[in-house]
Amino acid sequence: MILNETPIRTAKNYEINNINIVDFNLPKTIKKFEGLNISGNLDKVSIKEEKISSNLKYGNGEDLLQQIQNSSNINLHIIIPDETEKEVELEFNLSEKNENLVDDILIEAKENAKGTIIIKYISDLKGKFYHNGQIRVLSQNNSNLNVILLNMLNNKTENYISIDNTLEKSSSVKYTIVDFGGKNSITNYYTNLKGENSNNDISTIYLGAEEQILDLNYIVEVYGKKANVNINLKGAIKDNAKKHFKGTIDFKKNCKKAKGNENEYCTILSDTAKSISLPMLLCTEEDVEGNHGTASGKVDENQLFYLMTRGLSLKEAQKLIVRGQFNEIIEGISNEDIQNMIIRQIENKL
Amino acid sequence: MKTKLDEINRNIYDIKNKDDYDFKIKKGLTPEIIEEISKQKNDPDWMRNFRLKALETYNKLPMPTWGPDLSELNMDEIATYVRPKTKMTGNWEDVPEDIKNTFDKLGIPEAEKKSLAGVGAQYDSEVVYHSMKEELLSQGVIYTDMETAVREYPDIVKEHFMKCVPVTDHKFVALHGAVWSGGSFVYVPKNVKVEVPLQSYFRLNSPESGQFEHTLIIVDEGASLHFIEGCSAPKYNKVNLHAGCVELYVKDGAYLRYSTIENWSKNMLNLNTKKAIIGKNAEVDWVSGSFGSKISMLYPMSILNGEGARTEYTGISFAGKGQNLDTGFKVIHNSKNTSSLVNSKSISKNGGTATYRALVRINENAKGSKCNVSCESLMLDDISRSDTIPVNDIRTDEVEFSHEAKIGKISDKSIFYLMSRGLSEEDAKAMIVRGFADPISKELPIEYAAEMNNLINLELQGSIG
Repeated sequence: MILNETPIRTAKNYEINNINIVDFNLPKTIKKFEGLNISGNLDKVSIKEEKISSNLKYGNGEDLLQQIQNSSNINLHIIIPDETEKEVELEFNLSEKNENLVDDILIEAKENAKGTIIIKYISDLKGKFYHNGQIRVLSQNNSNLNVILLNMLNNKTENYISIDNTLEKSSSVKYTIVDFGGKNSITNYYTNLKGENSNNDISTIYLGAEEQILDLNYIVEVYGKKANVNINLKGAIKDNAKKHFKGTIDFKKNCKKAKGNENEYCTILSDTAKSISLPMLLCTEEDVEGNHGTASGKVDENQLFYLMTRGLSLKEAQKLIVRGQFNEIIEGISNEDIQNMIIRQIENKL
Repeated sequence: MKTKLDEINRNIYDIKNKDDYDFKIKKGLTPEIIEEISKQKNDPDWMRNFRLKALETYNKLPMPTWGPDLSELNMDEIATYVRPKTKMTGNWEDVPEDIKNTFDKLGIPEAEKKSLAGVGAQYDSEVVYHSMKEELLSQGVIYTDMETAVREYPDIVKEHFMKCVPVTDHKFVALHGAVWSGGSFVYVPKNVKVEVPLQSYFRLNSPESGQFEHTLIIVDEGASLHFIEGCSAPKYNKVNLHAGCVELYVKDGAYLRYSTIENWSKNMLNLNTKKAIIGKNAEVDWVSGSFGSKISMLYPMSILNGEGARTEYTGISFAGKGQNLDTGFKVIHNSKNTSSLVNSKSISKNGGTATYRALVRINENAKGSKCNVSCESLMLDDISRSDTIPVNDIRTDEVEFSHEAKIGKISDKSIFYLMSRGLSEEDAKAMIVRGFADPISKELPIEYAAEMNNLINLELQGSIG
């Protein structure tokens, strides 16, 4: 199964144009999913169990998108109507009883609407489960949406997710993505910054351990004048984990005065972990500012030394430093329960 | 606020001589044509067989599915071998008048007198002139055309020829292996420091033809060399092809600086391959200016094989109307404590496309390595295109790697600042563009004024407004 093609190809032997999943076949039957729990300010938000089809510009390959189209077992249409602050949490719990989740979530933020949607994928520690989902966001003029997406699945579960956002004039969508789980965790993220002054912030933390493969393909197309995009990733990989980050900011003609920034820092905690990054800037408009930066390396030796002289073991010191790197993104999440959950996961994984 | 920048003045480069040759192979690519080239060049058997095998590889390999569109290239319309009406000479006066005039106008003999230790000049498929200062000869330095090297130094050529760049690397390397002709061979013995640069200049005059020169340089342990290559061609209506190959072997403790000023005409497809294998504590510095050609796919590569090996790449590309320059750098860190530094700049204007495409790979065995990449792109109007496509592949933990890139136009603030100091808007813009290119142009030898100064400083200065 070939997934996550980059919008522009480069040499084949660089092994980054796409990812080929060889050791996995799609489940043939998708049973009813009963592991969803919805909580929060439900009186202020409309949540309907209905399917509204539309084609994604990119997405995670034809087979997976077809499966969502034809056999999804969760379909949610969430409408955030107005500017009163609201928070909704969707928790999907994969277990022996609910081993396959194919979800289709459409979020509409109406004009001037404000809200936070937390989408949590968790699983039992043992068991090989399967998640294939898509999240579509339509953000109307002046709306302001926070999406917190947590992948806390176990390391044997297959995790595929496609995201497709369209942002109208002066709307803002902020994503916080915590990508910790899954044997193969494949994310295809696309934003169309259609409206003038629209804004998309993406803050991601990722952790890869054992034999995990993380393939993150983020594509932001900038059409609107004075539109703004910030992509910020912090991650750590250890054991034999592999991380591929492909980030594209594509400044389209006439997106005058638009700005785009893309930064990634990957801490490598073992000599067998592999980090590949491809931060692309594509540009057909002169009057823009685009920057990207990536860096990789081991944990800073001075910091390690300092912490170890204070009595911490090597592992504890490494853990603390990685947590420190993630801190800014974790603190950006206002929900304390979620913050604690992330910190616990870091403890467990490292 | 718009910046207007004229195209580079190509008057000098567009001088066309009559397509007057001694022998021109028929167009196309068949085993018979390869056999004929081999016969014309008096190849030894091993080289003839090598060419035929390379053709087989060429036929098996696919066209690249990434990068610029090469569909206009039709090998059935390209003559891969054109022998000029002259033999190679070591005396400038013996070069035929029309060829000599071309190189005179390009400033080659003038540069040789002033600042070079040796010069090679290739016209179409063959080298027409080669010379080197006596003192280098006495130190055991070899600088000759590739055909002479195949004849006179068969063992050393066999050991190195297309071993650094195997014909299986990609389709156009295989093509090169089949039809190569001309180019330079340099050997610098152990601990010999060649203080003054050597230069090879490649000129393609014949229309609907290709140039496939092979450059093989071996810098032995503790030795050093600065090698410069320049290339140009007049413009024709139909496609010309350049698929040269550069192989650099830089042994332990040696140093090589390889400078290129490429100014092919805008009907040229420039699909060139350059690679260096770098030994323990050795260093290769690439300086690269890409100005000409319709399409370029050019990614010099350093393989840091020895502990403590180093490499630097300093490159600029300048894509104007109708040009698609897809350039960049590749580096493989393949031993402990290796380091690389990449500084790339590109300018696109009048609808040109400039792409920085790169690879950094730090292998498992390259602990303690460092790599720093910086690339900046400047767009001078809103009909051009500028892309940055860098792959960073890090396979071990004990490394320091960083990459940063910027894309955008000339900042209004900078223009405003300079204008507040009394400069006109045009002068302010010109100064900023020159400043942008300056880190690259200052890396080139100052004496080597014939091309780079024409291309960057003088042309930019005079034509903005």
